[in-house]
Amino acid sequence: MEKVDVIIVGGGLAGLSCAYELANSGMTILVLERGDFSGSKNVTGGRIYLRPLLPFLPDIWKDAPLERHVVKEILTFMGRDNSTTFELYSNRFNQEPYPSYTILRAKFDRWFADLVSEKGVFVIPQKNVDDLIKDGEKIIGVKTDGEEIGADCVVAADGILSFMAEKAGLRKPLRPQNVALGFKEVIALDSKIIEDRFRLERNEGAAQLFLGTLTRGVMGGGFLYTNQQSLSLGLVVGIHSLNQKEPREEVYKLLDQFKERPEIKNLIKGGEVVEYSAHLITEGGIHTIPKFYTDGMLLTGDAAGLGINMLVTVRGMEYAMVSGVLAGRTIKMAKAKNDFSASTLSHYEKLLNESFILKEMNTFRYTSMVLNNERLFNHYPQIISDIFEKVMWVDEKPKEGIYKTKMTELKKNFFNLQTLKDWLQFRKI
Amino acid sequence: MSNEIWVLAEHKDGKVKKITYELLSASAQFSKKTGGQVATILLGNNLQEAVKSLMTFADKIFLIEDPALTFYTSDAYLPSIASLINEHRPSILLGGATSTGKDLFPRLAMHLRTGYVPDCTDLSMGEDGRLTAIRPIYGGKVFAEISFSEDRPQMATVRNNTFIVDQELNKSAQVISVPFQTNHSLLKKKVLGMEKVGGEKLDISEADIVVAGGRGIKSAENFKILEELADVLNASVGTTRAVVDEGWRDQKDQIGKSGKNISAKLYMAFGISGAIHHVLGIGTCKTVVAVDTDPNALIFNYADYGIVGDLFQVVPALTEEFKKVLAEGA
Amino acid sequence: MEIYVLVKQVPDPEAMVKVKTDSELEIENKYFTNFFDEVAIEAALRLKEKFGGKVTVLTVDNRRVDALRRGISMGADDALQFSDPALEGSDPFSIAKVLATYLKDKPFDLILAGRQAMDDDAGIVGPSVAELLGIPHVNSIIGLEIEDPKKGAKVTREVEGGKETLSCPLPALFTCQKGLYTPRIPQVMNVMKAMKAQIKKVDLSAIGLTTTDVGPHSAKIKLNRYFPPPKRPPVRIIKDDFPENVKVLVKLLREEAKVI
Ligand SMILES: Cc1cc2nc3c(=O)[nH]c(=O)nc-3n(C[C@H](O)[C@H](O)[C@H](O)COP(=O)(O)OP(=O)(O)OC[C@H]3O[C@@H](n4cnc5c(N)ncnc54)[C@H](O)[C@@H]3O)c2cc1C
Ligand SMILES: Cc1cc2nc3c(=O)[nH]c(=O)nc-3n(C[C@H](O)[C@H](O)[C@H](O)COP(=O)(O)OP(=O)(O)OC[C@H]3O[C@@H](n4cnc5c(N)ncnc54)[C@H](O)[C@@H]3O)c2cc1C
Ligand SMILES: Nc1ncnc2c1ncn2[C@@H]1O[C@H](COP(=O)(O)O)[C@@H](O)[C@H]1O
Repeated sequence: MEKVDVIIVGGGLAGLSCAYELANSGMTILVLERGDFSGSKNVTGGRIYLRPLLPFLPDIWKDAPLERHVVKEILTFMGRDNSTTFELYSNRFNQEPYPSYTILRAKFDRWFADLVSEKGVFVIPQKNVDDLIKDGEKIIGVKTDGEEIGADCVVAADGILSFMAEKAGLRKPLRPQNVALGFKEVIALDSKIIEDRFRLERNEGAAQLFLGTLTRGVMGGGFLYTNQQSLSLGLVVGIHSLNQKEPREEVYKLLDQFKERPEIKNLIKGGEVVEYSAHLITEGGIHTIPKFYTDGMLLTGDAAGLGINMLVTVRGMEYAMVSGVLAGRTIKMAKAKNDFSASTLSHYEKLLNESFILKEMNTFRYTSMVLNNERLFNHYPQIISDIFEKVMWVDEKPKEGIYKTKMTELKKNFFNLQTLKDWLQFRKI
Repeated sequence: MSNEIWVLAEHKDGKVKKITYELLSASAQFSKKTGGQVATILLGNNLQEAVKSLMTFADKIFLIEDPALTFYTSDAYLPSIASLINEHRPSILLGGATSTGKDLFPRLAMHLRTGYVPDCTDLSMGEDGRLTAIRPIYGGKVFAEISFSEDRPQMATVRNNTFIVDQELNKSAQVISVPFQTNHSLLKKKVLGMEKVGGEKLDISEADIVVAGGRGIKSAENFKILEELADVLNASVGTTRAVVDEGWRDQKDQIGKSGKNISAKLYMAFGISGAIHHVLGIGTCKTVVAVDTDPNALIFNYADYGIVGDLFQVVPALTEEFKKVLAEGA
Repeated sequence: MEIYVLVKQVPDPEAMVKVKTDSELEIENKYFTNFFDEVAIEAALRLKEKFGGKVTVLTVDNRRVDALRRGISMGADDALQFSDPALEGSDPFSIAKVLATYLKDKPFDLILAGRQAMDDDAGIVGPSVAELLGIPHVNSIIGLEIEDPKKGAKVTREVEGGKETLSCPLPALFTCQKGLYTPRIPQVMNVMKAMKAQIKKVDLSAIGLTTTDVGPHSAKIKLNRYFPPPKRPPVRIIKDDFPENVKVLVKLLREEAKVI
């Protein structure tokens, strides 16, 4: 059996970051990616935060093909036939290093793969890893269409459904309550049009999140990110709460109905759908994370269940990249000792604990529980808009005082036990 | 050098192909500008019928008959055509972007050391007799407008249905028989046989109407419903690579980047998702119809008319409806 | 058998290709080995497995050699890159000139090329090389049988409405069409070897060509301008219920599109 030093299964963000950390380490690093190229199968909403990454990956960003830096945070509460939008602009968002960018994975991952290839890593697409090779409990290599390749260490960076983690016995199959389903369309639009519709300067971007009736009370929400020459528009819905719902919503219909809303329709008008994708998202949080290592193997990114879901914003990319880097550091350390046993590789967990990754995941440990609450996704967004609408409404009847309007509505909808309960829950996040 | 415009005639079983009439009709238009004659070169064996049907479409017919020419081979065709061209120095030589044209023209152009533009979707001519060619490149993502150097003839192959056949040319051709000079012993390639696939139906690259089914059709047998629709419309049946790879249809029916480019008047796609590789092959179709259960299927981006629905419902219904209206029409 | 395969690195069919100016294109950096060339490499390797011998991949390209690496990783024995500044802006005929000039005094039984390159979609290089070498060629083959290289080959090519089978003596040049073979996906270890392989470079002078033999000035055709494809009007989805929608469609095809 031919042998290399490290085999990384999956050429996504986690795998490539690990490869980047290991490049020029003198080790032979092999990245096996089943897609036609890195990025070809990768789905993300499309927003990445740079600051958490800079300490770990300081120097790749200069030429990285990111889309637009986000200067506008927009939050829209959607009622059945009305909606209220909060828009935040801050000069801080517009100061380098820009805190956050929109991103298209097909572009970014492909570029990242080329970058690590230039550094001597072997990134090989069209290679689906079918199985692990074990010696007792120790992982000693992988099988890919008939070919057996050995390695001191195998890194599972194969995404949320991580077959590798399961094969290694580190993780049980996913449970519905721990995953959400994401759908996304990339809609091509002229950059000038995008800048006009969102009132942006060149290279400036907007990130818009939607909460409310668009998910029909199913846990989740919508997102809209501005790329250079396209929009990323999508929905994220909890599978569990989707399954509970009767009649079962056809999810792609949700996205179509979403696109039919005047609030969206006018933003995407004239655009052409150039990409449509669906993908799973980790929701489980810290309760469901697996053991991160075993003899001869480490788990990274989605494969390790790393990522958080704060209301509708999903964050997994920083987690994937940083965990990849930390896995790389661990492997270097193990190489120095020439010992890839679990006890040495346990160093990886230590690094994860010290990093923002597990700290944040701990902070947000209750979110998925709190979010599993239908009222958040139809009741509250609805009344916010209704109250606002009432306040603004003028007709033939003499108008009530604003305060009176507000109070009656608030009494009706907020000053009740249910809301209080929800509120107490909320303090957990 | 003359200002004649020449067209390489193509025929199958003695019948002249539509593309030849299309090119002769276009040439007649061009020749009005330069006053040059329009000639066609006809190679084969026992071509009386072909000659007759071409009489009104050209001013001259160069006829070369020989058993060795029954089937096209470059080594039988090329020397004869080359020597004719060297003798008469036409200004333009056109052919179809067909299996013959694409095999012969590049080699002939190299032989004559002249310019050649393949697979054109439009041609125009200036007063000075200079040809301008339009052709899709990068699989149709971009078009290029190309002109020729001083070398003559200006050679181009043209896609089916690019020009309309003008039945009223009313020329009366002078038939010039040319002896076949090539020594048979020099003919290296021999055609052993021709296996007809898809019966009498036109090739998808030649058909006016193409109805195509993708993986959504789910089995080889199910193509029957498309065949029935095709029969009513006198259309040919195309398909996608996914289906060919499944072994449900023959490679020759594959439309797209690694299959054929079609330029039908009407293209109807059933159960085809519209992958870029596929739609690149239908870019020059006049009208495109898509039927798919998935409202997000990319094929709808490339269609003029769309129905979101089950093809197993829609296709039979279409067949009946077309039967009805065509009957009324007639 | 001594076999040469002509290969080219071209933009991936999924790559974005846009018109930048009349004379300039913007091409997304997604390249792959021309699919038909991979089919040709596969065919060559199968013949080598049957008769032994040597498979050499050739490319004329100043920058991209990935197609050669792909060839090596699939199993080609040797690879050669023809590169020279003077080649910039050459048309397919000049490319053919370079390849033929190199090949003319080499012993070979067979040259394989792709049906066309998925960039200029021309299908010119193959037949032109054959013409310059004075050997027979067959275009767009989907079948290839060789019992004895001395006795020649039996090839099947796609023709309208059928398949035509010919006998052809060797040496000859065939251009390959999908359906001939499915290109093998190279093994990981071979890909790694190929990535490390040193690619031999050859410039024009080395094959006795001068800068005036190639390049734009030697081109027989001239690009006036690029322009984007005509855009289709947005699709008209027929929203009526079945079977009404079918009736509406047929009506539109007759009365609006007038294609029936
Ligand atoms: C709709 C949606 C919206 C999201 N929005 C955001 C967002 O806005 N911000 C954010 O930070 N995160 C977001 N996320 C989460 C984020 O995309 C993921 O956490 C991140 O992509 C994880 O990266 P990864 O490298 O771990 O996994 P992936 O990116 O999934 O990469 C795994 C790779 O492994 C390959 N692979 C899998 N199995 C095999 C095998 N057997 N052999 C070989 N290769 C294999 C796959 O092809 C893939 O390339 C979103 C996710 C979704 C689905
Ligand atoms: C280098 C390369 C070259 C290629 N060249 C070509 C080429 O030349 N031509 C080509 O076609 N492809 C080509 N492909 C493949 C192409 O990428 C796609 O895989 C292929 O076109 C998909 O075929 P499809 O639409 O039939 O199948 P799918 O993509 O599976 O689409 C099936 C469609 O049927 C729909 N459907 C299912 N059931 C029904 C129903 N009952 N009623 C209505 N609709 C239904 C589905 O919604 C779906 O949209 C190439 C790929 C590569 C990599
Ligand atoms: N630059 C090149 N180098 C080597 N072979 C080429 C080159 N360009 C084209 N070919 C070969 O010729 C075939 C047809 O290319 P084209 O004539 O450009 O459509 C390709 O499939 C290749 O096999």
